[in-house]
Amino acid sequence: MSHPSPKITLPDYPAELQADPRDLPYDKAQLTRFYVAMKLARTFEEKLGALYRQGKVNGAVYLGMGQEATSVGSVSALKDGDFFTTVARNLSAFFYKGIEPRDVMARWMGKDIPPSNGRELGLFLADIKNFGIPPYHNGSMASWIPSGAGYALAFKLRKQPNVMAAFTGDGATSPGDFYEGLNFAAIHKLPLVIICEVNQFAYSTSIAKQMPVVNVADRAPAFNIYAETHFGNDLFLVIEAAQRGIEHARSGKGPALIEFKTFRQRGHGEHDDMAYVPEELRDFWAERDPIKMYREWLLKRASFTTSELESTETQVEADVESAITYAESLPMPKPESVTERLFAPSPHDPDPNQAAPYEPIDHPSIPGLTAAQDKSEGGHF
Amino acid sequence: MARMTYLQAISDALRTEMRRDPNVFLIGEDIAVFGGAFKITQGFLQEFGEDRVIDTPISESGFVGAACAAATVGFRPVVEFQFIDFISCAFDQIVNYAAKCYYRWGIQMPVVLRGPTGGGVHAGPFHSQNPEAWFAHTPGLKVVLPSTARDAKGLLTAAIRDNNPVIYLENKFLYRHYREDVPEGEHVTPIGVAALRTVGDDLSIISYGATVHHCVEAARMLEKEGASVEVLDLRSLVPLDRKAILESVRKTSRALVVHEANLTAGFGGEVAALIAQEAFEYLDAPVTRVASLDVPVPFSPPLEMAMLPSVDKIANAARSVLAY
Repeated sequence: MSHPSPKITLPDYPAELQADPRDLPYDKAQLTRFYVAMKLARTFEEKLGALYRQGKVNGAVYLGMGQEATSVGSVSALKDGDFFTTVARNLSAFFYKGIEPRDVMARWMGKDIPPSNGRELGLFLADIKNFGIPPYHNGSMASWIPSGAGYALAFKLRKQPNVMAAFTGDGATSPGDFYEGLNFAAIHKLPLVIICEVNQFAYSTSIAKQMPVVNVADRAPAFNIYAETHFGNDLFLVIEAAQRGIEHARSGKGPALIEFKTFRQRGHGEHDDMAYVPEELRDFWAERDPIKMYREWLLKRASFTTSELESTETQVEADVESAITYAESLPMPKPESVTERLFAPSPHDPDPNQAAPYEPIDHPSIPGLTAAQDKSEGGHF
Repeated sequence: MARMTYLQAISDALRTEMRRDPNVFLIGEDIAVFGGAFKITQGFLQEFGEDRVIDTPISESGFVGAACAAATVGFRPVVEFQFIDFISCAFDQIVNYAAKCYYRWGIQMPVVLRGPTGGGVHAGPFHSQNPEAWFAHTPGLKVVLPSTARDAKGLLTAAIRDNNPVIYLENKFLYRHYREDVPEGEHVTPIGVAALRTVGDDLSIISYGATVHHCVEAARMLEKEGASVEVLDLRSLVPLDRKAILESVRKTSRALVVHEANLTAGFGGEVAALIAQEAFEYLDAPVTRVASLDVPVPFSPPLEMAMLPSVDKIANAARSVLAY
């Protein structure tokens, strides 16, 4: 490492999951579903990074390796009709909710598939109808906190017992939109849940250079909202905390901010070698990899066998391979489609042949237009 | 028909659409209890309740983002900026979220973003601006600027019913200075169709918003001097009624483009370029522009009047074009 390492204090998070399987309400199928979503995302992203380096995926790719437990655990606590929005690091949430890897891969390759038809990167999906993912993400960090408040407002106005869960990160708690969105949501007690993944770096900038508080949850008192902070690589801690936050918001008590400490194992994007991350920190979090810990727990505590897990892993590998094959087989969008679907049709769209009507202004001169202003009407100005 | 000021016509459109469609709600600063800084929403809270007339904290990016989001799930929010100058605080939500949503995902966002523009009322640098070019430059936003009370109502009705984000720019000088007969009940002016305010053969003056009135005054002056001047009011910049511009210029062979926003990179440059490219062989004189000077809008009246376009400045420019 050529960069001087800042002095870091490592937390005392354990390197194994603590839950007793007898206390958990999950059957084997559900435990497998958690594992598949996390492992599928990890395997997919390893492949995606390789494809990017081979020049088979254009632009830049942003991976979420290391944050699979926060993603899967949080969305597993949502109910039918709830909305959620992700950031670049939540592919496993997509997979847990049933989004097909092949469709995500096709989007990464810029293929002509709905809903974006090549207009948006693979990680940005909006599909309200099928997955409860509303449109979000303006590109600027935190921009989806105001829109999150808007979806929560829509639920409240309709008296719908649903919540809006917005994933965000430590870096996104600095822009004004974080404050503006949460402030509005807190004033109106909107069912907005902020799932804040503190992954230690905003691009290359450490938390110490981003915020004057230790925890994002320390910001919560400014909004008078519910907040919790947890180790985010323990799937079961995540699920429980997300459930509490979501049910708090659902009960009409206002927003919840649930903070998970985790680690971004790759750079901001695959172009970033993350040389700014101290070795010590990487090693600490590598021991606490969420998938590794969960796999060990399944074997040691939940009576899964190695051959069972290996068979799942083989299937996951095959699914990713077939996703790539499928995505490669799809057509690219037609260049002439680039100007299509800019404006939605509207009821009063004019006939293109409609001539400009003659609608004269036949009043006398407006007072003040050519002479001094007339203030006799009153009002502001 | 009812005699209404430009301001009353805006209120009338909002009230009519809110009575017609329960998905329309209003959101902005001081619009509920106070009835708005200009009193456009006076009495709305009492009629429609606090779920549909929402006072916000001073946080334009926050409430614009929230309104845009609600628009994608069936609501038709109308956002009021107290002064359009503060729209810059919500720039990201407008140009990056609202403008691109339908293009990115095919999800409609029927939201209206409206507020008072313009100078001439000695309000200083942050209560006087004309930001239309920022938004006309952003694909995915419609940009509408009514110059009359009838259009203020008709275009706002169309904007609320439009399935896209519409930037609806009112002129605060016209609020109480302009009144005319406006249709009662439903009145729709389609977005994207210009209107002829005078008809003539010698010169086309192309304008929009408040300066349409200056142009009509100038046309009356020039008429007395023997010139026949056509004033075309664009009414919307996006979509732009290119056909109306070109038809008028092909008829008169002379074009003067006028707006209150400052000159450089103003929308008038776009209109001039269109004419130069599509009607070059019809022209008998250079396409000429009259706009505000390229400075912030100053407070003190002599400075502000020196900065803004005026009837005299327009008439003088028109005389030069006619004499070329």
